[in-house]
Amino acid sequence: MSLRARKWIRVGFAGPGAFIIALVIMAGMALWLPQGAAQIDNLVLPLILFPLIWAALFFHACLDGKLGRVAVVALGLCVIHAGLVANKFMSKPAVHPAAAHEAKS
Amino acid sequence: MIHLPKEETKLMVAVHGWSGIVLGLLLYAVVLTGMAAVFAEEIGAWSAGHVETRSAFEKPIDAQVRALIPRTPAEFRDDVNAFEIGDHNLGVFFHRHELKPNGEPVDRGVYYQLDAAGNVQKELRGKGEEVFGPRNDDALSSFLVDTHVRLHLPNPWGLLLTGVLGLAMLVAAISGLLIHRHLFKDIFTLRRKANPVLVDRDRHSVAGTWSLPFAFILAFTGSFFSFFGTVGVPIVAMAAFGGDQVALSEAVFGNPGKPDPTPKAIGNLDRITADAAKRAGGAPTFMTIEHFGRADAVVTTFHMPKAGDIEPSTLVYKGATGEFDRAKPSIGTRPSAGGTLAAIMGPLHFGNFAGVLSKAVWFGLGFAMCYVTLTGLRLWLVRRREGARSLDWLERATTVVGFGLPFALLVCAAAFLVTMPLGTAVFWTPTSFVAACLVTIAAAFVLSNARLDRALQIGMAVLLVALPFVRFATGGPGWGPALATGELAIPAVDLALWFGGGWALWNLLGQRHEDRGADDFALQPAE
Repeated sequence: MSLRARKWIRVGFAGPGAFIIALVIMAGMALWLPQGAAQIDNLVLPLILFPLIWAALFFHACLDGKLGRVAVVALGLCVIHAGLVANKFMSKPAVHPAAAHEAKS
Repeated sequence: MIHLPKEETKLMVAVHGWSGIVLGLLLYAVVLTGMAAVFAEEIGAWSAGHVETRSAFEKPIDAQVRALIPRTPAEFRDDVNAFEIGDHNLGVFFHRHELKPNGEPVDRGVYYQLDAAGNVQKELRGKGEEVFGPRNDDALSSFLVDTHVRLHLPNPWGLLLTGVLGLAMLVAAISGLLIHRHLFKDIFTLRRKANPVLVDRDRHSVAGTWSLPFAFILAFTGSFFSFFGTVGVPIVAMAAFGGDQVALSEAVFGNPGKPDPTPKAIGNLDRITADAAKRAGGAPTFMTIEHFGRADAVVTTFHMPKAGDIEPSTLVYKGATGEFDRAKPSIGTRPSAGGTLAAIMGPLHFGNFAGVLSKAVWFGLGFAMCYVTLTGLRLWLVRRREGARSLDWLERATTVVGFGLPFALLVCAAAFLVTMPLGTAVFWTPTSFVAACLVTIAAAFVLSNARLDRALQIGMAVLLVALPFVRFATGGPGWGPALATGELAIPAVDLALWFGGGWALWNLLGQRHEDRGADDFALQPAE
């Protein structure tokens, strides 16, 4: 792969890639983080940690000399967390919130 | 110290520079308005001439809220929010919860703005976002806050943009830390007699190094707030509750209890506010009543952090009897790591956890960050200038934003002071800001960068000195009445403006002395 192509792949992982993967991790984290004493840690911590997750992905993509490792870490985290969310949806189909609230009332 | 290899350091220098160059001017706008917004409450009191110092919740509110019940349609009496508006008057929002077609929760109801005597001054009906706009007496502070929060762009785009700017600031802060080879030495290195570029670089480095932890905290908490409602809540709600944002909100903020829809009048709110003030060490800043008029009504009062604490306190009362139920964390029903972290994000971002002292520190560090952003941009430009790459447009843009923005903010403050007594401040505050920006941009096409720079600095200095006089001339209260009621914000802001104006004039005189004989005082000659 040319140096130019490698550079742009790195930019992709550091820029839009880091943002999208951080969003996927935020979604997936809500499903594996412990709920804590108030049963809310799994919901609140991903929201708080989102900027830091993004920063970690960004700096890893910039500073890791091995582009392959950047791709494996970023895509690995993305696949694991996307898989968790997909599994949740497949095991219990999502109900549209408006419909759920109508049913409740 | 962090010692990166040479190549990585070079890369980090590029990342640090480009993160500032690409978004630096917008970031500067957000940080500058944020710095001013730290004192939004004081600026609001100063600009509107508010001299009342007693909180609305330290005065009787029970009869005022009860008087509103008959004029409120029953469909909007599910929940009630009460808060302070204007000169410590009461704002009351009777509402019900609705869902937008995209599943986003929204409140719809009747918003009453009461005057000091408790009479309805204004009644607005609609969704929360429709009724909570700027008022004539808070148009200036609202304008400042709105610029800082979303740069006046419509939701969610404004919040997304400021969130991205927060991430850019996070990058600049972390890369700034990584590129310092001698962090502790850099904190104290100011070579005053070196060549001008080195002097500027030292100043940038010292201000940047001292404000690094602060920049990190502000960037982190700021991007948290920007992304919280725009992408965070919908995504976590999608993953954990199939997209049900109300369920997420109930889980995180709700007061779970056994439903009892039996109609029952609300308990004495004055007793609740008095008890809450005693328990929390200060009057509430906000009050919610869930299930208003029912046996299972719950009153929640929100308070500033107690002395020595950083987490705000929240108290829960049984609505029907007014009996104290429990103290709860701001987030969640029991103390937890996530709840505590989320609760301290606000105080950390706003710097209001230790009163005026912490606000002053946040203001000072915000000023240092503005200085770092502006000098960083100028140093970057000086380096490119040496390489004979013409970036004149960016140099001008930096001057237009760097000095034009504070100039336009001061113009809009003057316009607010003149138009508020006429009742037209909501229109003229943003309009005058836009006009001042347009004049500055037009001047950038006509004047040389150096002249524009000096003209804007003179304009700022004159306005800073003149604003207290404009306030006096337009009927604002003098220091005597303000001090008599204990409203220190009015003389304090007057003095701060005079100090700022004096400092700006002194700086201008110094520049004139230094630059006598030089053509360009905006950008120092390259090393």
